[in-house]
Amino acid sequence: MESQIQSLQTKALEAIASCIDESQLEAQRVGLLGKGGELTGFSDRMRELSKEEKPRIGKVLNEVRAAVTAALETRKAALTAEREAKIFEGVDVTLPGVSFPAGAIHPITQLLDRTVRIFRRMGFALADGPDIETEWHCFDALNTPADHPARNEADTFYLPDGRLLRTHTSTIQIRTLEKMAPPVRIIAPGAAYRRDEVDATHLAQFNQMEGLYVDEDVTLGDLRGTLEFFFRELFGNDAEFRFRPHFFPFTEPSFEVDIKASALGGGRWLEIAGCGMVDPAVFEAVNARRGDHALDPERHTGFAFGFGLDRLAMIMSGVPDIRHFTDSDQRFLSQF
Amino acid sequence: MKASLNWLREIVDFQEDANALAALLTMAGVEVEGIHPTGASFDKVVAAQILSSEQHPNADRLSVCKVDDGSGAPLQIVCGAKNYKVGDKVLLAQAGAVLPGDFKIKVGKLRGVESEGMMCGADELGLAKESEGLLLLDPATVPGTPISRLFPSDTVLDLEVTPNRPDLLSHEGMAREVAALTGRAWKPASVFQTETATENSLSVGARECPLYTVRQFTGVKVGPSPDWMKQRLETIGLRSINNVVDTTNWVLMESGQPLHAFDADKLQGPLRVRFAAEGESLVALDGKTYKLCSKDLVIADDSGPVAIAGVMGGLSTAVTESTERVSLESAVFEPGCIRRTSRSLGLSSDSSYRFERGVDRAGVLRASQRAAELLGQVAGATAGGLQTGVGGDGVDIGALLMGLTPVRHVPLRAERITALLGASVPDARVDQILSALGLSRSEDGWDVPSRRADLTREVDLIEEIARVVGIAHFPASNRGRFVGSSAADQRYDRLMVLRQAAVAQGLFEGRSLTLVSESMAEGPFVQTPVRRVKNPLNEDQVVLRPALVPGLLQAAGRNARAGVKGIRLFEVGRVFSAEGAEERTHLGVVLAGPAWTPSWRSASVQEVDLFDLKGVLSAVLGGRVEFQTQPASGILGLAVEVHLNGERVGVAGVLRPSEARTLDVPGNLMAAEITLDGLLSGKPEQAVYTELPRFPAVTRDMALIAPCGLAHGRVVEVLESAKEELLQSVALFDVFTDATGERVPVGSKSLGYSLTYRASDRTLTADEVNAAHGRLKQRVTAELGVLARE
Repeated sequence: MESQIQSLQTKALEAIASCIDESQLEAQRVGLLGKGGELTGFSDRMRELSKEEKPRIGKVLNEVRAAVTAALETRKAALTAEREAKIFEGVDVTLPGVSFPAGAIHPITQLLDRTVRIFRRMGFALADGPDIETEWHCFDALNTPADHPARNEADTFYLPDGRLLRTHTSTIQIRTLEKMAPPVRIIAPGAAYRRDEVDATHLAQFNQMEGLYVDEDVTLGDLRGTLEFFFRELFGNDAEFRFRPHFFPFTEPSFEVDIKASALGGGRWLEIAGCGMVDPAVFEAVNARRGDHALDPERHTGFAFGFGLDRLAMIMSGVPDIRHFTDSDQRFLSQF
Repeated sequence: MKASLNWLREIVDFQEDANALAALLTMAGVEVEGIHPTGASFDKVVAAQILSSEQHPNADRLSVCKVDDGSGAPLQIVCGAKNYKVGDKVLLAQAGAVLPGDFKIKVGKLRGVESEGMMCGADELGLAKESEGLLLLDPATVPGTPISRLFPSDTVLDLEVTPNRPDLLSHEGMAREVAALTGRAWKPASVFQTETATENSLSVGARECPLYTVRQFTGVKVGPSPDWMKQRLETIGLRSINNVVDTTNWVLMESGQPLHAFDADKLQGPLRVRFAAEGESLVALDGKTYKLCSKDLVIADDSGPVAIAGVMGGLSTAVTESTERVSLESAVFEPGCIRRTSRSLGLSSDSSYRFERGVDRAGVLRASQRAAELLGQVAGATAGGLQTGVGGDGVDIGALLMGLTPVRHVPLRAERITALLGASVPDARVDQILSALGLSRSEDGWDVPSRRADLTREVDLIEEIARVVGIAHFPASNRGRFVGSSAADQRYDRLMVLRQAAVAQGLFEGRSLTLVSESMAEGPFVQTPVRRVKNPLNEDQVVLRPALVPGLLQAAGRNARAGVKGIRLFEVGRVFSAEGAEERTHLGVVLAGPAWTPSWRSASVQEVDLFDLKGVLSAVLGGRVEFQTQPASGILGLAVEVHLNGERVGVAGVLRPSEARTLDVPGNLMAAEITLDGLLSGKPEQAVYTELPRFPAVTRDMALIAPCGLAHGRVVEVLESAKEELLQSVALFDVFTDATGERVPVGSKSLGYSLTYRASDRTLTADEVNAAHGRLKQRVTAELGVLARE
């Protein structure tokens, strides 16, 4: 029996080695180790052996089974590797990738969201107001003289009922101050409208970001610090600033902020924002509407600022024509 | 305003270059929009007269000229230009001249004929960007006059003055500001002399004209202005007319006070100031007839209007070559009144520009005196009597005649400077700044001259200090109190989540304009009456958009025409209604074309249909999204109502193929218009944990043969109405019909459902599941009259 077992081993190892695929090998395994397999048969015949022979033959049988099992596993690993190698053989990895369809958020929304995230980290909350405004909110409350050219129908869209499409988001300063008492620390993104002819750099409608901080002890230094911090976050630490004195009816003093930064093409000053300390006349106008004295020009001070998002997005992304932003052309939108 | 650097330097001691001046003004609040060198300064370029011109013997296009350059000996010049005649005066570059572009002029032969120089065009001398032929000079020019005398060099600054600073709209005003900013000396061009006048002899019938003065001149000799006057006015962009008109322009540009000269002999009776009568009209100096209304202030004589006050004079009383007596107006008109007239007539002038912004009444008489001085000098005129008139009661004419000008007292506290600016400014510096600006210290504050109408409050003085000191003096600080988030914050966040969900579905965000055409304000997606603007710019921007889909459909068409295959657009934005909530936030979606991009791996694509749109809406809106059948109409071939958490929020549908084709979109074009106001006003949803299943689920299929008209929704409704406790979910996995009738009878369809059963507390036995499934099958077949296939 021992020699039979030994010769089975020789035969089995040869057969295993000659298997050319996994199914042949599996057949071999079943023929040797399966129910009714040849080696299994020897195990069954162990019962026939004498007490003396049993341990010796058992040992041989175990050794042979171990050898056969090992050979099966080794061969199986080899055959698996061979088969799997074939799966990937000749695959041209330079073939183009195939992606799930993806959309994109509009570039102006992306820029808007960046600015919102920065201002929120600086402790500003959001505010909003209607696009259709009263002349009082858009001009009177913002200390704009009754005969100011901006009120003219040539420059501002009016509704038949005398209301208008806000010409700036500064209306939201008034809307917010009407409802809240200091501290007021808000940003307000929104659309503004001017009756301008459309060309590559002008639309009759544009996107603005407005900011307002009113509290006790708010100074020009705070305004400067706030805007410089914000724009450095947006454009990078190489941003340089020039606060040019300017005139707006609703701030005193007023400035225009010019910025030079590599994110803006570097090299030249670009007029980016308008800002200033809230004119006390604005506080008085809101007080009169509120019927109280919530805003005390002797106690409260504040700053306000505003800038356009469209031109920033144009400069930062090198978009040559502002009309791309409103055309909903997927060839354009998919670039951002 | 255009300012001449030479002119400014005559008034203020500022010898640095134009760039230094521009930097100074920029940081003081005057924008410098351009710096333009003018004039020409070349050695060996002189005036010359053409004495003769003959055809060049060897070149058809050239002539050989003899010219007199004032040296006595005529020069021979070969010339290619054709725009001259013998006797004309031109500019000659003599041998040795170096023209722009390092172009050296030498004696040499041109096609075999000697040329001793070059006659020049304006472009060759840098006097114009482009020009044709020779620059022809005034016939009175003396040959030999150097070019630098004919075109003196200067620098013109294009200055943008903010509306609060009309006092800067003159060379004296700008020079005074430069002096204040630099501490340099300045000297006005003239000094006021005490006047006597026939007070209030003029009739002024409008408060809008606080002060009107007229000075009479005799012996006026009208003619060309002297070169110094002409050249300087031309340098800053004014056309020289004659010595009288040029004088009024000179004084305007020097002092900021607009003047007007009438031919006194053409006036009938005394001048008066009044509002125009309806229907009156005037032919103005520009030759055009202006119809006036009762809001237009005019200067009139017995015959009617002779000038539109503050805007433009009349043609019939204009100063001409034959004028001998002049009535010179120097006056003040209210800004609003002049602005209205200028706007309504569509007519503006250097005068109206200044009156609209505000002219200082304290300068009226000095300007009139200065004009008298100049008219004597350049036109031999003799100044006669001065008449005045005042409208309203705000002007003390007696004080003005004495040179006493009103001042305004404005308080100023040092602690308010610090409180507003964030750093203190030393008292001495404050004194220096405000004194230099022409203010004088008085008790608790400062006296402000009338020309600075913008300085009325303490904060205005603080502004002046900040402006002159510069922001660098006030250190940047990073401070601010905490504030709570707002409802606007919540809405913003919710919309960003929604946008991201749409992008995750493969959609691109559009942002279109709010104002749309009438045709974009109708159709099944427009649910409300619309609002319109009163004064649209053009017919494409008339209506405040009532919905987003019309714009998105147009965009789908543009994309299709541009060759975009899978059109997947959404927009989140404001829409407007004339009823109910005026401004609402909507979501619009359009889909068309293949659902995915075909690739080398699989060329097959499926076209999107209504079910893609339903899937997108469910994913984007979150919450419980349901769809209810709605009759289709108009452009829609299929329509469903969209419900979110039990509330109707909008419409979705498929355009009829012919409608899609009119937009150039082949195949299915889907659109949905959803109002988001409910979603945005609700509290943000807090996700709540559901226990994960601990026991396995069992699925059983149910195949139904149903009439084609039976809705899947109805099947689900019946299955759910059974309230079978173990039933966890129902999924439709197959729908088919068979036109041959072999597998499914014609007129019927096969619906394949997979029903999932599960209990939370045990593993289900086959018997329980079979029982439940049997009950459901029974219910469906009985209630819907369908056949269950085994």
